Amino acid sequence: MKVYIVEHAIGSFAYDEQGKLIDFVLSSKDLGKVVDSLLDNEKGIPLPTTIELIQKIKPEEVVVENEAEIPNLQQLGVKASYEIHNLGSRIFRESLPKIAIETKFASSENDLYSFLYEVSFEYTRRKLRTAASKRDLLAIQAIRAIDDIDKTINLFSERLREWYSIHFPELNKLVEDHELYASIVSKFGHRDEITNTGLDEIGVNKDLSTKILDASKKSIGADITDVDIRSIKMLSDTILELFRIRSELTDYVESVMKEVAPNVTALVGPTLGARLLSLAGSLEDLAKMPASTIQVLGAEKALFRALRKGGKPPKHGVIFQYPAIHTSPRWQRGKIARALAAKLAIAARIDAFSGRFIGDKLNEELKKRIEEIKTKYAQPPPRKPQEQKRKEEERKGKKGGREKRKGRR
Amino acid sequence: MSELVKISKTQFENVFQCEFNDGTVRLCTKNLAPGFSVYGERLFKVEGIEYREWNAFRSKLGGAILKGLKQNPIVKGTKVLYLGAASGTTPSHVSDIVELEGKVYGVEFSPRVVREFLLVAQHRPNLFPILADARFPQYYRTLVEDVDVLYVDIAQPDETDIAIYNAKFFLKNGGYMMMAIKARSIDVTKEPTEIYEMEVNKLKENNFDVIQVIQLDPYDKDHAMVLAKYKGK
Repeated sequence: MKVYIVEHAIGSFAYDEQGKLIDFVLSSKDLGKVVDSLLDNEKGIPLPTTIELIQKIKPEEVVVENEAEIPNLQQLGVKASYEIHNLGSRIFRESLPKIAIETKFASSENDLYSFLYEVSFEYTRRKLRTAASKRDLLAIQAIRAIDDIDKTINLFSERLREWYSIHFPELNKLVEDHELYASIVSKFGHRDEITNTGLDEIGVNKDLSTKILDASKKSIGADITDVDIRSIKMLSDTILELFRIRSELTDYVESVMKEVAPNVTALVGPTLGARLLSLAGSLEDLAKMPASTIQVLGAEKALFRALRKGGKPPKHGVIFQYPAIHTSPRWQRGKIARALAAKLAIAARIDAFSGRFIGDKLNEELKKRIEEIKTKYAQPPPRKPQEQKRKEEERKGKKGGREKRKGRR
Repeated sequence: MSELVKISKTQFENVFQCEFNDGTVRLCTKNLAPGFSVYGERLFKVEGIEYREWNAFRSKLGGAILKGLKQNPIVKGTKVLYLGAASGTTPSHVSDIVELEGKVYGVEFSPRVVREFLLVAQHRPNLFPILADARFPQYYRTLVEDVDVLYVDIAQPDETDIAIYNAKFFLKNGGYMMMAIKARSIDVTKEPTEIYEMEVNKLKENNFDVIQVIQLDPYDKDHAMVLAKYKGK
């Protein structure tokens, strides 16, 4: 007896060679289990309903559609072959809603389709997550690279300024921006080759260019040769190249972050989001942290000192970079940090385990809460008498007072 | 910004056109998910019904309609298998047209765009997002059923073969196939018209009646939309 076995999210169905439905086993309505078995099926594992069905009707030979299942089916002791779009599957897929209702899988078409909708959503979400997994580690490395580049740029720029100042010391004070300073050195080299139009080309405003030109004419710096200038230029070119890499990496971090952690990114932006991932270790690690830990990520030193000595714990770690925190008055910061950390905890969990996008909603709620804090605590709180006492103690030089904290990087 | 003057029906069911006071005429569909704009298109409310503007430059189906599609097999209640759903721009309009009675099974392989597609599908109960490779219909056979229309927009060199393979699985006898051919992704060295002819011949050899081939410029350069009827397996 040859039997066509049709596998679908709603169950497994057996048809005989005349196209008659012989028997069937329906899926459970447990979404997670159904999706698991569908994903396994791609790897060649027959649906659990299929196995049950075969054990029930004990056919000699079965025909399925997924070639990869054949070895597994043969282990069940039946002859197996595959044929795409065979007699059974043709009949089944032509009238799926009818069959679903007749076999009492669904009470109505709507019932069936809302089940299929949920299954395909969960199936896609699950596949998406495996595809996106590990990409958070890439974002983490990229953000660390950006931080390294920042450090290097600062180091090199300091060196460049000192070096070039032998020739043109006045430029150091005039141009504070490292990138602009490096591009001026790269473009002109000798100070008397600096021109108005040239400065205009690299985006220096009129006011500043007159000052620079003026200074270059009256400079007290030493004259140096072309060979000397060439070496200095090599350094400034490198700095410019580092700036270019930095901006490319920033774009990259943004695109990866939007993919792996859309909700966290919606709340705090790609850079701060990536820093949080970097401090936590991975997206999953961040998702497993309580909001109170997220709040002080990056302020570990201050936190543990506070715990050890019994002082005041830090109010915020790296999330201090969130604009609403560092632009607010001191006494509101802790409250905003707490609200933000709580939303971040929600966002990270959804990003890691579910994949829905609710960033806009979270953002809205957070904005509302910040507004509330701003109106409710508009005035600084009155000083506590206890605090004053401690201050007096400190003045007397007793030990054990709290140290001045620097709770952020 | 120009203002809406009038919304009127077109020859196709559930496809509308809106006229603006500066004389431009655009396509639009009834929004199945009122309040949500999918790709930044404008929304209009007329007599309590919300319409979404349909940008023909972003949607090949929209382009084909404006370039004189003879018949649109996608109507209210149609079941559509949509290969190459991407971020859901065109699928959202298809979902508008078929309404809740119809179903749109959207298959897309790139995780990057599926994320956006999920956001679109979230508000549309008739749009089923499926992250899968259209080359292997046997993997998503467990999630779909036979359909009236197979819409293919996958820009692969073997696009036509993939389309025919999927038709064998899921297209009803007498169903329609709409295939957007991107000449440049099939062979950059050949003339686009030559490629369209080649692909059309492949369809004819595989039991399709080709009804119409529409060149999509200026909406999409070197693209064509093929409308064909399936004679059966």
